[in-house]
Amino acid sequence: MSSKVNRHHYHHRFNAQSFPPPCPHLAEFRARNGSMPFRSLEDCLRAKPPCGRAAIRREPSEVPRCGACGESARPRLYACVACAAISCHAPPELSHAAAHATSMPPGHEIAVDVDRAELFCCACRDQIYDRDFDAAVVLSQSTTLKSATIQSAKPENLCKRRRVDYLPWSPDMRDRVLMESGSSPLVYGSDMPRGLRGLNNLGNTCFMNSVLQALLHTPPLRNYFLSDRHNRYYCKQKNGVTNSNAGGKRNVGTGDGNGNKNARLCLACDMDAMFSAIFSGDRTPYSPAKFLYSWWQHASNLASYQQQDAHEFFISMLDGIHEKVDKDRRKPHNQGHGDCCITHRVFSGILRSDVMCMACGFTSTTYDPCVDISLDLEPHQGGPAKSASMKTHPSCNGEADSLNSGQNCGISTLMGCLDRFTRPERLGADQKFFCQQCQVRQESLKQMSIRKLPLVSCFHIKRFEHSSIRKMSRKVDRYLQFPFSLDMTPYLSSSILRSRFGNRIFPFDGDEPDASNEMSSEFELFAVVTHRGKLDAGHYVTYLRLSNQWYKCDDAWVTQVNENIVRAAQGYMIFYVQKMFYYKASENQVAL
Amino acid sequence: MRNSVNRPPTPDAAEDLGKEPMFQEIINIKLIESGEKERLMELLRERLIECGWKDEMKALCRAFIKKKGRNDVTVDDLVRVITPKGRASIPDYIKAELLQRIRAYLVQAAV
Repeated sequence: MSSKVNRHHYHHRFNAQSFPPPCPHLAEFRARNGSMPFRSLEDCLRAKPPCGRAAIRREPSEVPRCGACGESARPRLYACVACAAISCHAPPELSHAAAHATSMPPGHEIAVDVDRAELFCCACRDQIYDRDFDAAVVLSQSTTLKSATIQSAKPENLCKRRRVDYLPWSPDMRDRVLMESGSSPLVYGSDMPRGLRGLNNLGNTCFMNSVLQALLHTPPLRNYFLSDRHNRYYCKQKNGVTNSNAGGKRNVGTGDGNGNKNARLCLACDMDAMFSAIFSGDRTPYSPAKFLYSWWQHASNLASYQQQDAHEFFISMLDGIHEKVDKDRRKPHNQGHGDCCITHRVFSGILRSDVMCMACGFTSTTYDPCVDISLDLEPHQGGPAKSASMKTHPSCNGEADSLNSGQNCGISTLMGCLDRFTRPERLGADQKFFCQQCQVRQESLKQMSIRKLPLVSCFHIKRFEHSSIRKMSRKVDRYLQFPFSLDMTPYLSSSILRSRFGNRIFPFDGDEPDASNEMSSEFELFAVVTHRGKLDAGHYVTYLRLSNQWYKCDDAWVTQVNENIVRAAQGYMIFYVQKMFYYKASENQVAL
Repeated sequence: MRNSVNRPPTPDAAEDLGKEPMFQEIINIKLIESGEKERLMELLRERLIECGWKDEMKALCRAFIKKKGRNDVTVDDLVRVITPKGRASIPDYIKAELLQRIRAYLVQAAV
C-alpha cells in the first residue's frame, strides 16, 4: 500500500493523520509568507452562537460585495488572502475570483470563503486545507463557545485507559496434559457448527428463545461462560445453599425457606447451565425451563404464558444477571464502565447529550450509561416529499448505482436511523430548557452522540407506535436495511463535536482526548432478532451468523439459510460485535 | 454601471418582488444589516436538515466522488452536479415558509 493511498484514505473522521496535501499554489504561498497572513485573518473571524459558525468580516456588520461586479447576493464570495479584495465565484458563467488570480501578480491565488471561513485556491478552483488556518478558526469558535460549556459528571474512568498489546498464546506440553486430563473432547458434527441447538417453546416463549439464541452466540458472553468464569456449582456453594452450616451463616426459622430460595436463584448460574447444555454437542432441542422459572422469580410482573416483548425481556434479563453477579454492591451501574458484572462489561456504553442554548451558546453536557440504543424509524413523509426527478435514476449519469444510503429510493437504513439519532434537534417552544447563563428558559438545540462504544451494540428498532390521540398502538412493519459491517465512527462524540466546527483539519485531538477512540469503531453483525405478525400476536425468529454462514433459529428448528433471506428480514433487535478486542492493563502488576 | 452584462439569473427568494437589480440589491442589504438574512439562513438550514434534503445531497456527492475518483473532483464539480437536483428537490412547504417570512419582514421594514 503506497503512502499516497494512505494519505487519501477517505474517512468520516478528518484527523491529522489523513489530510489532503497542499496544492502547488498553497505550498508556494506558505513558502513565501509563512503562516502570518492566516494569523492576521484571526481578527476578522466572527463566530456566531449557538453553533459557532465562523465567517470572515472586517467589521461585524460588513456587507461583503464583489469588487468587480458589486454583487453581494452571490452564494460564494471569496476574499483574497494577499490583498483582501473580495470577488464572486459563480462558475461556469462568471468567476471574478479566478480573474483576480490571473490578473494580479502571482501570490493572489489563495482566497477564503467569507461566509464559511474555508480556504479556496482560485487557480486550481478547488477547496484547500491548511493546518494553521484551521487551527485559528477552531480557536476562534472554541473561545466563543468554550466559556459556555460545563460538563457534568464526566466519567473519570475513561481517561488514560492503558492498553496491553495482544500476545498470542498457545499451550505448551504441560498445559496440554492438564487440559486433556481434565476434559473429554466433543464429538465434532460435520454438518453444523458447535453451539447450534434449538430451544423448545414452552408456551409463547419465542420472545425468550430468540433473545437467548442471540446471547448464547454473543462472543464475549459465550467466552466468559465457556471459560468457566461463573461456575454454577461454586456460586451455589458460596451462597450457602447446599450446606446450611457453611461459612457460619445460619438461615434461621422462617427465613430458611425464603433465604434458601433467593440464594438458589441466580440467573447467571442458569445461563452457565444453559451454555454447558447448548455447547455439549447434543443436537436435540433444549428446554430452558429452569431459566424461565428463575426469570419469572426475578420479573414477577411478567410471569405468565402470554406473549411478551423480546426487548423488554432482554433488558430485564441483563438487569437480573447484574443483580446477582454484581461484585461490588456499592458501585451502582451509572458509571457505565462495566466493571460490575459481565452483562454490563459486554453491553454497556455511554451516551453523551448536549443541550445548547440558541441565544447564548451555553452548552450543558450529560453522560448516561446505556445497554442498547433504541432507534426510531423514519417518519413516513420522507418518501412522497421527493420530486419525480429524484426517482428516475438511470438518466442521472449513473450516480444511482453506488448510493449506499438508499434514502433517495425511500428505503430506511440503519445508518439513516443513526444519523437521525445523532442529529441536532430543536427543542420547540413548548420544551424550553433552562439556560444557566441566561437564567431564563430558552429554546435550545439537543444533540446525542456516543461517548463510549460497548463491546456489543444492540440496536432496538422501535416498531411499536403508540398514538395517544387514537388511543391505540400499532406495529410499524416498514423494512429497515442493515449492513453486515458497521463503522460507528461518525456517531462518536468526537466526530459529532468535530463536525460542529465544519470542514477542518484538527492538529489536536479536540477537547476530549481519550484512548478509547483509538480502538476500532468497526462492528460486525452476528445476530438479528426478527418479528413477524401483529402487535399482540406474532412470532420471533433469530438469525445467527457463525463462520460467515447464516442460520435461522425458529424455536426448536435450526436451519442454514442464505444471507439474502437475512437481508430481507424485518429486524427488531440487531446485534453487532466489535471486530477487534483489546486487553486492559491490570492495575496490580501481577506477572502475566 | 456596476452590474455585469452577463449576469446569470439568480433565483434567490426575493426574485418575485422585483426584477430590477437595484431593488434586489437594496433588499439584500437591508436583510443583512438587520440580521434577518442570518436568521433566515439558519431557519433554512434547519428545515433542509429536518426533511432529509442535506442527507440526500451528501449521498449524491458521495456517489459522484465514488464514480469519478477521489482525486479528480473539485468543489466546483460537486456544486455543478448537485445544484440542479438540489434546486428541484426542495419541498414546496419550505419555499412557502421562507417567502412568507421575507414578505413579513419587508412589510414591517417598509413602515
